Amino acid sequence: MDLLTISLTLGVILLLLLASGLWVALALMVAGLAAIFLMVPVPPGAVMATTVWGAINSWDLAALPMFVWMGEILFRTRLAEDMFAGLAPWMRRLPGRLLHVNILGCAIFAAVSGSSAATTATIGRMSLPELDRRGYDERMAIGSLAGSGTLGLLIPPSIILIVYGAATEQSIARLFIAGIVPGLMLAALFMGYTAVWALFNASRMPDPDPRVPYLQRLWQTRRLFPILALIAGVIGSIYGGFASPTEAAVVGVVLSLLLSWFTGTLDHSTFVEALRNASRTSCMIVLILAGASVLTVAMGYTGIPRALAEFIAGMDLSPYALLAALTLFFVVLGCFLDGISIVVLTASVILPMVEAAGLDIIWFGIYLVLVVEMSQITPPVGFNLFVIQGLTGQNILKVAGMTLPFFLMMIVAVALIVLFPQLALWLPQTMLAR
Amino acid sequence: MRQFLDRVYGLAEWLAMAALCLIALLVFAQVAGRVTDAGLALFGLPPYGFLVPSLAEIAGFLLVAASFLALAGSLRGGVQIRVTLAIGHLPPAARRAFEVAVLALAAAVAGFFFWYAVRLSADSLRFNEVSYGIVAIPLWIPQAAMAAGIGVFTVALLDDLTAALTGREPSYVTAAPDVTAGEEF
Amino acid sequence: QTKWEMPVPYGDTNFHTRNIVQFADDVKAATNGGLEITVHSGGSLFKHPDIKNAVRQGLAQIGEILGSRLSNEDPVYEVDSIPFVATSYDDARKLYAASKETLAAKLQEQGLQLLFSVPWPPQGIYTKKEISSVDDLKGLKMRAYNAATERLAQLAGALPTQVEVPDLPTAFATGRVEAMITSPSTGANSQVWDFLSHYSDAQAWLPRNIVFVNQAAFDALPEDQRNAVIEAAAAAETRGWEASVKETDEKTQVLKDNGIAVSAPSEELKKGLTEIGAQMAAEWAEKAGDEGKAILDAYNN
Ligand code: NA
Ligand code: NA
Repeated sequence: MDLLTISLTLGVILLLLLASGLWVALALMVAGLAAIFLMVPVPPGAVMATTVWGAINSWDLAALPMFVWMGEILFRTRLAEDMFAGLAPWMRRLPGRLLHVNILGCAIFAAVSGSSAATTATIGRMSLPELDRRGYDERMAIGSLAGSGTLGLLIPPSIILIVYGAATEQSIARLFIAGIVPGLMLAALFMGYTAVWALFNASRMPDPDPRVPYLQRLWQTRRLFPILALIAGVIGSIYGGFASPTEAAVVGVVLSLLLSWFTGTLDHSTFVEALRNASRTSCMIVLILAGASVLTVAMGYTGIPRALAEFIAGMDLSPYALLAALTLFFVVLGCFLDGISIVVLTASVILPMVEAAGLDIIWFGIYLVLVVEMSQITPPVGFNLFVIQGLTGQNILKVAGMTLPFFLMMIVAVALIVLFPQLALWLPQTMLAR
Repeated sequence: MRQFLDRVYGLAEWLAMAALCLIALLVFAQVAGRVTDAGLALFGLPPYGFLVPSLAEIAGFLLVAASFLALAGSLRGGVQIRVTLAIGHLPPAARRAFEVAVLALAAAVAGFFFWYAVRLSADSLRFNEVSYGIVAIPLWIPQAAMAAGIGVFTVALLDDLTAALTGREPSYVTAAPDVTAGEEF
Repeated sequence: QTKWEMPVPYGDTNFHTRNIVQFADDVKAATNGGLEITVHSGGSLFKHPDIKNAVRQGLAQIGEILGSRLSNEDPVYEVDSIPFVATSYDDARKLYAASKETLAAKLQEQGLQLLFSVPWPPQGIYTKKEISSVDDLKGLKMRAYNAATERLAQLAGALPTQVEVPDLPTAFATGRVEAMITSPSTGANSQVWDFLSHYSDAQAWLPRNIVFVNQAAFDALPEDQRNAVIEAAAAAETRGWEASVKETDEKTQVLKDNGIAVSAPSEELKKGLTEIGAQMAAEWAEKAGDEGKAILDAYNN
C-alpha cells in the first residue's frame, strides 16, 4: 500500500472508531497501534508502553493538573461572580459586554500557562457557568472560550515555542518575545469579532445591566481585588524569580486555597471534591495525550507526515505559494495530530524548505504556532474541544461549529502575519538589539 | 464482589489524589525555599539554597501515577470523553449492541496496554533502569504505578462490559458528569 | 533490504546529528542500499530518556544518547564527566581509550553494542559577571542536573539549583539561576547572549555522546553489511572528533561575535578548579571501585 492509501485508511479507521462511541483516547491508541502493526516490524504493544511512559512522565505536563485543580478550587469560591460583577459596570458600553471576559481572561492566563488545554479548562471552569447564569448566548460563550484558549500557545510562556526553539536551535527568549504582539493581535481580532457579532445580534444578548453611577461603579470595582491579587501573585512568582512557569501552577493552587479559606468556602468536602474533579479531568486530558502520543510515534515510524512535507518541498513553490500550501497541510494534519507532534514530526523536512525560501526562522516559528494552534479546535482531534465537552457536555462537533468564526479569525491572523512579518519581528529586534 | 470492586476503584482514586497533593507540596516547598532566601537577603544574610532534589523528575513520576491511577474513577464518573453523537440516534437495542462492542474493544485495548506496561516495569527492574538526576530513582516504581492504574482501568471496563451484557446501564451512563453549562448530550 | 530506525536526541543543525546523517548515508552507499538507516532527529521518535530502552527492546535498532545520562546506572558512564580530569581533546581521547572496553562491556550486558563516541566541546562556565577565581562562584546559584554537577557546585561553594534546559532563559533573566556549565556549542545554539554576558573557557570536561546498536539486530545482518556498519562507524568517529574541534572554535567565535565576554581561566581559577577536580576524581574512583581505578590508572600512564 502506498502512503496515501495508508493515510486515508487510518483516517477512516479513526473516524469510525470515534463515531462508534469508543473513548477518544482509546480510539487514538487503536489507530496508532493499527498503523504500527500494518507498516512497521516492531511490537506495537511495547512501542505503546514506552511511548506513553515517555510522553506522560513530563515536568512540563505536571502544570496541567495543577491549573485544572486551581480552576476547580476557584469554581467553588465566589471569585467568578465577583469578577463579573466588578467588570460589568465598566463593560456596559462595549458591544459584547462580558463575553470579552473569556478572551481577556485567556489572554491574561496565557501569560502564566504554556498550554492551551490548561488555559481553556481553568478559565472555562469559572467563566462558562457565570456567562450562562447571566443569560449570554451559549454559542458565543463556548466559541470564544475555545478560540481564545489557544492563546496559551502564542503568548509566552509556550511549550510549543520551546519545542520549536529546541528543534531549530533558535533563541527561546526571542521566540517568546516574538509571540507577544501576534498573541495580542489575535486576542484583539477575537474581541473585534465578538463586538461585531453583538452589534448584529442584539436580540441574542441579555438585557443590559442597569446604569450605575460613577461612584458606585468604583465601589463595585473593589470586587475585582481578589482576582487581581491572584493574577499578580502567580505572574509575580515567575517574574520575581520565585517560580518557573511550571512551578507557578502550584503557586496558583496555593493562592486559590488561601483565597478560598479567607472567603469561607474552603472546608473538607469542597477540598476533596475539587481535588477529585481535578484528578478526573486531568486524567481525561492526559489519557488523550497518551493516545495522541501513540498515534504520533506511529507517524514517526511510518513517515507519513514527513513524506507529505517532502511532497510539498518537491513542488518548488514561491514563498507565498509555499506558505499557502503549508497552511493547508498543517490544518489538515492538525485535524488528527496535536500541534507539538506536528512540529516535531515535520521540522526536519520543513525547515530546510523555509530557509531556502529565505524566510526568517523566528518569524516562521510564530507563523507555525499560529497555524498549528488551530489544531486545538479542529475536529475530530482537538484538545480544546475535548476540554469543553468535559466542561459543558456539548459534543465536540457542536463545539467545533460554535468555534468556527474564531477559527476564521485565526486564518485572518495568519494572513496578517504573512503580509506584515514585522508584527512578529519588531519586538524581538527592538528589545534584544545588539 | 460489588463492594470489593468499588473499594479498589476508590483506593486507586485516593492514591491518584494523594500523588497530585504530593506534587503540589514538593513544588511549593521549593518555591517557599526561594522566598525564604529572598527574605534572608533583605536582612543581608546569605541564602540557604534549599533544594528539593530531582524535583522535576519526581513530579513527572507522580504525574504518571496520578494520571493512570485516576483512570477507573474518571471512567466511572463519566468524565472520559467519547463522541455519542452518532450512536445516540440509534434505537435502544442497536445502541446497546454498540455499547457492548465498544466496551469489549476498550477492555481489549486496555488489557493489551496493561500487559505491556507490566513488561515495561519488569524490564526496568531487570535492567536496573534509574532516573538520571541528583537522586537515582528506580524507574520500575512509577512504571508499576502506571501498570496498576491501567490494570484497575481494565477491570473497570470489564465491570461495565458485564453490566452492559446483563442489560444494566454502565456506570458512566448513570453517573451525572459534573458539567457547568449547557445541556446533557 | 533492511531498514533501521535511529532516534537521536539533538536537532538537525547540531554537529552530532549532521555527523550521524553522514554515517547513515555512508552505510547506505557501502551496502548498495541493502541497509537503510532512517535518522529521527530531535527526539522525534523517542525522547532522549527513552532512547536507550527503545534500542535495548528492539523498538529501534540503533540510537544515540549523551553517555553520562546513564551515570546513575553505573559510574563508568560518567568517567568522561569528572571535572578537570581530561580537559583537552588529546586527554579526552586518551581517557576514551582507557575506558572504552569497560564501557562497551557495560552496554553489552544490556544487549547493546557500542559503535562510536564523539565528544562535545570542552565545558565552560556561563555567568552574568566575570569569574576570576573559585571565590567568585561562592554563593552563586549554579545549575545542577545530576549528582556530579550538584557536588561540583557544592565544592565550589555555589548553591546547586535545578533548572530544566528550556527554562534556562527565563531562569537567568529572573535570577533563579546565575551560573551554568556547558559547552560553547550548547551556549551558542541556545543563544545565551539573550540572557547572560560572560563565558569562562574553563575546559572542565568533554562529555561524549555514544552511538550503539541493538546486538540482535546487528547480528542479524549479513557479514558484509556488518563490516560496512563497523567501517562507517569508525569513519564517523574520526570525522566527529574533528568536527568537534572545529565546532569549539566556531561556536566560541559565535559567542564572541554576539557580545559575550569570553575569557581564558585565570591561573587562580585554574588552580582552584583543579583542586575540586582532584577531589571529585578521588570520590568517583571510590564509587566506581576496581573498574574505576583501573580506568584512571590506564589514563594516567
Ligand atoms: Na502561554
Ligand atoms: Na484538531
